[in-house]
Amino acid sequence: MRAAVFRVRKTEPFAHQRAFDQAVADLVQAIPIPNQVTEWLSKGTFVAAPRRAWKSILFNPAMVAIGIAVGVIAGIFVFKLVERLNEFPAENTAKRLLNVASSAKPVMLDPVKTEAGALGDFFFMKHRLPHYDVPPEFADFKTLGCRVFDDEEGQRIAQIWVVEKKMQFFLFPAERDLKSGVVRHFSGWRYADQDRWTGVVQERNGVCFMAAIRGSEKELAPYIAKPKE
Amino acid sequence: MLGDAAKAQEVFESIMHDAALRAAQGELPKDRLWLFNDARWRCLEASEAGLQAEPVEMEEHEIATTAPAQIGRLDPNQLAIWISAAPDPQRSALAFYYLDEFNHQELLDLTELKTAELAKLIVNARQEFQAWLNATVPPEESAEQP
Repeated sequence: MRAAVFRVRKTEPFAHQRAFDQAVADLVQAIPIPNQVTEWLSKGTFVAAPRRAWKSILFNPAMVAIGIAVGVIAGIFVFKLVERLNEFPAENTAKRLLNVASSAKPVMLDPVKTEAGALGDFFFMKHRLPHYDVPPEFADFKTLGCRVFDDEEGQRIAQIWVVEKKMQFFLFPAERDLKSGVVRHFSGWRYADQDRWTGVVQERNGVCFMAAIRGSEKELAPYIAKPKE
Repeated sequence: MLGDAAKAQEVFESIMHDAALRAAQGELPKDRLWLFNDARWRCLEASEAGLQAEPVEMEEHEIATTAPAQIGRLDPNQLAIWISAAPDPQRSALAFYYLDEFNHQELLDLTELKTAELAKLIVNARQEFQAWLNATVPPEESAEQP
């Protein structure tokens, strides 16, 4: 459309038309206006300044650009905020253990066929790991095997493999404040995900429990929906 | 619009009188071009009262390069009379268009026409006016002028 207009503007007939219109407009300006009318005309303006409708303001390219920029900034801000709200102490350890879960093989664990809830005493008696208890929500699951190992930070980690959806449980020390050494508590269940593995983490008595599954939060959500005593 | 300065002044005064009354009562229309709109309809009304031009098929000529010179030789009143003799809405379109005060949207609002209609009326008017110019101030004659 614009190209067509530019092309027309360069043509001779258009130049003649413009010259014609200009000559007529000049002649119109020369039409004598009675003095009484010119007196009135000099007193004021007969056309009010056009009001800028909200639509024209809204669809102004500059406003659209500003709107998009503000939208993107707000989106990033909200994303960061949500990410921040979902952060919890020991998240890094949980993500590291999800990597462990993804590469774990059943043969790496000692075969133990019992209920997950019963392994708390086993960890305490054999490995001297107090409070390494499986929460009631996951305590009834049948186990295939378990092991205790030191991670790269020298923390004692308990790993349990259960029959249910080939889920893996991890018990590990909660994160501590570097200066005071006090446990950094957090309440409720928190999600962590890493490479298509998702974990749901809870901290109790300075020990974190994580149930890990290959899949999304949706698959873990039903297990923690109704807290058990 | 009227081709008659006295009639135009009457219309203008009546508009201003009404505008003053409406302003005093706080009833001025929200339309920012209402004054021109009002003027248009009053002029059309006033022109209906007088002698009416017979509807005739106007000759049309292509716009000539000599047109500005031909127009320059016209008396402004001749142009005013020619425009006032045009049938409406062509008359209103020409009056508002050549006042050179309004943008495209304002012209459409004032004339209550669509873009294509307004364009057609103006294009035809240019060619009719050119034909009239050629008859009234022939190009050869205008070219001879210093």
